[in-house]
Amino acid sequence: MTLLNSKICILGDFAVGKTSTVERFVNNHFSDKYLTTIGVKVDTKEIQLTEYVKLKLIIWDIAGTDRFGPVELAYLRGASGYILVADGTRAKTVAAALDLKSQAEERYGELPYVFLLNKSDLQHSWDVSDQRLDELSQSLTNVFVTSAKSGDKVDEAISTLGEMIADRESQ
Amino acid sequence: MNDLEELKSLLFGAEKQALDSITERVQKPETRSADVADILPEAIRRSHQQGRELVASLREPVGECLTESIHEAPQAYADALYPVMGPAIRKSIIHALRGFAQQINETVEQSFTVRGLKWRFEAWRAGVPFGDYVLQQTLLYRIEQAYLISRENGLLVGHVHHDASRIKDSDAVSAMFTAIQDFVKESFSPDRSGRLETADMGDFTLWAVHGPHALLVCVIRGVPPRSLRSDLSAILERIHFRYGEKIRLYSGDTASVKGVEDELLECLKFQDVQPKKKKSRISAALLITLLVLAAALLYFGVNSWLGVQQHRALSAVIDATPGLYIVDIKRDGGEYTLHGLRDPLAATIDDIAASAGIESTQVTASLRPYQSLDPEIVIRRTRQLLDAPSTVTIVPADDGLIISGMATQAWIDNVRGKLAAGSFGMPVILDDVASTDMTQLQANVSEINNVNFFFENESTLFSEDEVKLREHASSIRSLVRSAERLDAAIAIDVAGYTDSAGSVEFNTNLANLRSEAAIRILVNAGIDDELISRSHVVPTGEFGTPDPTLRKIVVQLTLGAPEYPTFTVPE
Repeated sequence: MTLLNSKICILGDFAVGKTSTVERFVNNHFSDKYLTTIGVKVDTKEIQLTEYVKLKLIIWDIAGTDRFGPVELAYLRGASGYILVADGTRAKTVAAALDLKSQAEERYGELPYVFLLNKSDLQHSWDVSDQRLDELSQSLTNVFVTSAKSGDKVDEAISTLGEMIADRESQ
Repeated sequence: MNDLEELKSLLFGAEKQALDSITERVQKPETRSADVADILPEAIRRSHQQGRELVASLREPVGECLTESIHEAPQAYADALYPVMGPAIRKSIIHALRGFAQQINETVEQSFTVRGLKWRFEAWRAGVPFGDYVLQQTLLYRIEQAYLISRENGLLVGHVHHDASRIKDSDAVSAMFTAIQDFVKESFSPDRSGRLETADMGDFTLWAVHGPHALLVCVIRGVPPRSLRSDLSAILERIHFRYGEKIRLYSGDTASVKGVEDELLECLKFQDVQPKKKKSRISAALLITLLVLAAALLYFGVNSWLGVQQHRALSAVIDATPGLYIVDIKRDGGEYTLHGLRDPLAATIDDIAASAGIESTQVTASLRPYQSLDPEIVIRRTRQLLDAPSTVTIVPADDGLIISGMATQAWIDNVRGKLAAGSFGMPVILDDVASTDMTQLQANVSEINNVNFFFENESTLFSEDEVKLREHASSIRSLVRSAERLDAAIAIDVAGYTDSAGSVEFNTNLANLRSEAAIRILVNAGIDDELISRSHVVPTGEFGTPDPTLRKIVVQLTLGAPEYPTFTVPE
């Protein structure tokens, strides 16, 4: 059995559902108060990639912001990938997520990522048009419309990121 | 080629070729540098052997060269020097610590506290310098966990811990520590050069030792000595020496750093718990001696206490035993010797020992016989003297005895005889003793008392009543003899009865006739006439009708109590 460890970060604007997204499937070790004090909270999640390979994701849940400061940027150091989260009921959070992606790439280069358009359970107040969603799907590699509340597509998105990281590491 | 050239060629051809070759080598920098490179090491060595001129010549340019290089690539030099600098710095620190310990030594040497003197003794016993011992005593600690964390990405490279330690997900702890470290560095260190090196949490201290590619974080229980940090640095240096490059490139594949945890285990060996062991070893012999002494004292104490209790019990039993007068009790260990007087009727020494809970073999007695006047012994003696049956009770009264109960007439007579002979020397009241013979006689008398005998006519008994009267007379005679043997007497009254037919006078005569007829039969049967009295029962009212049931006589017997002479005690 091969055990791989990878650091990933979960990024996005305020209240887009980052913490809710990871809380559904991770092992909680620390209080959420760390998010408001030092701006990050670490959880872990193990994924069985193949019969013989297990990947342990060390997930840094970074406090919501539309622009990284030096502290948040420092948290991204050494990450193998990241999860971008935007709120489907607030279109401006999509732009914020893309902005954060640019900042991260500018500092640490290109890394595997998945883009989660969250809150699919709130269709009545959905704010991202189909056209915008198509544009996103074409410009970004992996876009998932998820619901942290129901768990829809969350596992799939995280597993996809895990596989991308493993592929990259094996190259 | 002209003639001159040709001549030169003929005369100096070989030399010219050599000269050209030399010229070419001198003029070409490549060949010249290759030549110098060949001879430079040897040249430097020879020059250095000849004197310090070469060193003096090189000092300035080499110094400038190093300075410039360090300015341009400081990290490379720092990384290269890390394994060298650690031991050098540590050596310096040890030197300083030794001086510090010596200073403590001198300070405590001048103090005469109990603890100071005790530590000095312990240090002397253990054969260590006093200063070291003081440090050892004051610094107790243990490393509970050690994390080796990649500086690049915060991933956990290795983690070791004691079994008893409570462990959260070590990967999460490692990442969170890195996050906090980054937070502190970014928030409070403007030039980002600051490092989080120590954190205190209750009983635990957290120490972080930083290396070029990894940091070693140790969770320490208690108060670690400052020297521990240099020990941990040495371990981190060794890890960098062996795994430095692998750690630098570590991206989460645990197989790539296999073996690093074996190195980390060295951290867990740092602990200081020896003083307690030493303390217990020192006191073991003393403890055993004290226990033996305590056991011996307890044994003798209990034995002594038991002896005293036994002595008291024996004295109490002796005091409560009538007829025994002990003047001296001697105790020798568990053996007792008694001296005094004993009435032969008193309890035996074996009985006394048993009552006191002592083996009879433990008690020997040297006793002279005497006659006790203890009431109980007097009673016992009287009972023995009189051979008193168990139905008789003897109790003391004033200065004499009262005998009560039941006994045979023979026994009573015997006692009376002895009383008359003055055998007791004290008043004895015997009146309360009932004679079992008299009781039986009374019962026999009652059985045949008041029997009626009926008459056929005026003075002739029915023939069957006459036969019955003769038999009755025989029984009476037997009872009279028994009474005589008991010094008692039976009075016989024969009463004549008539009915109310006829006058009183007539009837009185008739009644007398009837009683006389019966008395004759009794006297003829051998009963002394003097014992017999006569009476009549005659109706006194008006004449009545004849009644055959009243034509009778009744024989009434009365047993008189025996009469004894009274005895007085001779003065």
